Amino acid sequence: MKPISEQIKEKPWKGWVLFITTICIVFVLGLFAASIVERRTEAIFAYAPQNNFSQFEPRNEKWGENFPHQYEAYMKTADTSFMSKYNSARATDVLQNAPGHVILWAGYAFSWDYNQPRGHYYAIHDIHKTLRTGAPNDSIDSPQSSTCWTCKSPDVPRLMQEMGIAEFYSSNWKDFGNEVVNHIGCADCHDAQTMNLKITRPALIEAFERQGRDITKASHQEMRTLVCAQCHVEYYFDKKKIEGANYLTFPLGVASNADAIAEYYDAIDFYDWIHPLSKTPMLKAQHPDYEMYLTGVHAARGVSCADCHMPYRSEGGIKFTDHHIQSPLNNVANSCQVCHREETEQLISDVYERQTKIKENSNLLEQLLVQTHLEAEFAWKLGATEQQMKEILQFIRHAQWRWDYSVAGHGNSFHAPVETGRLISSGINLVQEARVHLARVIAQLGYTEKVALPDVSTKEKAQAYIGLDMSAKKSAKQEFLQTVVPEWLKQAQEREATY
Amino acid sequence: MKKILAHILPPQSWRVPVIIISGICVGLFLFIAYIANAFSYLSDKPETCINCHIMVPQYATWMHSSHREHATCNDCHVPHDNIFRTYFFKAKDGLRHSSIFTIRGEPQVIQIKEEGHAVVHENCIRCHTELVTDAKLTAVHEDFFTQKTERTCWECHREIPHGTVKSLSSTPYARAPLLESPVPSWLKQTMENEKNSMNTSTKNKKQENHQTP
Repeated sequence: MKPISEQIKEKPWKGWVLFITTICIVFVLGLFAASIVERRTEAIFAYAPQNNFSQFEPRNEKWGENFPHQYEAYMKTADTSFMSKYNSARATDVLQNAPGHVILWAGYAFSWDYNQPRGHYYAIHDIHKTLRTGAPNDSIDSPQSSTCWTCKSPDVPRLMQEMGIAEFYSSNWKDFGNEVVNHIGCADCHDAQTMNLKITRPALIEAFERQGRDITKASHQEMRTLVCAQCHVEYYFDKKKIEGANYLTFPLGVASNADAIAEYYDAIDFYDWIHPLSKTPMLKAQHPDYEMYLTGVHAARGVSCADCHMPYRSEGGIKFTDHHIQSPLNNVANSCQVCHREETEQLISDVYERQTKIKENSNLLEQLLVQTHLEAEFAWKLGATEQQMKEILQFIRHAQWRWDYSVAGHGNSFHAPVETGRLISSGINLVQEARVHLARVIAQLGYTEKVALPDVSTKEKAQAYIGLDMSAKKSAKQEFLQTVVPEWLKQAQEREATY
Repeated sequence: MKKILAHILPPQSWRVPVIIISGICVGLFLFIAYIANAFSYLSDKPETCINCHIMVPQYATWMHSSHREHATCNDCHVPHDNIFRTYFFKAKDGLRHSSIFTIRGEPQVIQIKEEGHAVVHENCIRCHTELVTDAKLTAVHEDFFTQKTERTCWECHREIPHGTVKSLSSTPYARAPLLESPVPSWLKQTMENEKNSMNTSTKNKKQENHQTP
């Protein structure tokens, strides 16, 4: 064979092939070198702030520019694909699946519409969409107060700082529609200067103060739970604290378990609404996730919310907290298996076992409560007196409180299976007490047959029985979503453009 | 040999550009080797194993264990029965790790593979032979040796040496050494000096400007 140089002389194309091949090799080598340099430095330059913003910057994307890893993960809370045995990341219609809830919450907005909660990404979207906030416009108010915005957005601390805390609690829900537009995000939990965890909602700070504790002294590990406890707690609106304000208040600290909180509400003569069927002054439990978690074994071992719901994640040389807040069942390897050596299927079935067993009795309690409300209604119709019913209503109030407290925290049956089991069993006892007394009252009124109960076996039947006109509510909501909401968002955009 | 050379070598007049071009290629290779810390992989330094930061929790837990005093990563995770197997295993493992890292395919949860599992067990026995070959105990228990070697040591010694909690979450605040800057210190120093002298000269000029009006 001839030397290459002679071959090229004869066939110049061979020279070109050699030339281009060399270019390709050097080019790829260059790319490889660049990739190595880039990945060497990614850990060093992981946090390179792009812009400055104040603590009251409500737009998550502005914070996200400085913290792209965390921001991208956080935006994954938009993913609704996850489903477990009983819960899901999507807006499953709870009333459809458990029509008994409609009767239990009759007279209260929850009987209109109640879905399983979606990720933080949907906080604003879903509060617009739910029938519970009504369809306000210029002339009609929302059935809810402005306090209902408190946990929905980083616009809230901004507004509180601009107008004052009590003033924020003193309006109608619709008044801040054009102000509160960014879903829960960065500024709700982080300090803009240091990115340390920060408590931004006054209710938790006040609850700590009432106990004589200083929340600023909490350790980082405690803060990994406390930032969640700003919202995932039982609360009520204190109407006596400041005239005209629905002042958001946590019983937390003064009373921290379900029984104590019920006594606390009894003592201050508080009720959420009067049940139209049984005339009971009812209590509605919000999501006492934090209180219930505190009674569980994971809390006792010092595990924080973030340890399981936001475990660490690595991307090459960068390690960060996974801000995709979600069910640990969707990420067992990084949550449960950090400490527990068992197989994924085993761990998941352990969770399901607890949930199934709790559910068995909470369903029973729910069914008994439905029956009791209807029987109480029957007793009133027979002509029962307030004197006769007083004690019974107190039993119903306490029984339903325990039921609601157990089911309103969606993670309760795993976070605190023993406490949840205890609450439900005491609820069953209370409701049966109510029924024993009711049977006596009904007998005294001359009726000794079994009380015939109406058919409330589906959401539609139950809602019709308590006299709801759902189609009117739904069409008003559609109108509101198509006319009022876009206007709110437009105004907000104009305001934010001036920041 | 000569034939092959004659086949590739360019004619006399092309020599210089060809030397320069091949120099560029080889130089680029050397740069890659340097920037990727390629030579460190021949050493036994544990810091090498966190060149890419992925194994920081493993490094940090080892760093706080008693094994730190006596055994490096390689002592346990690479076989030591003969030198060929040592380097073959090391090269195979290392190349797998580096290719996975390059294509960003690293898993969130790092678990040892079966082969590595066997090697670690070999190495436990290599150093702790006296614990599995106790003459007195062998006299009493016939199957003492087999029992001690057929089951893995960490069936019981679960925390050794990486701790009970094994994951990214185990060492959230670990401080592990970062790679040093690839720019040599003398070059940095020179650049720093240049910058300073330029700054002072511009400052001087400004001062002069101030003085004139």
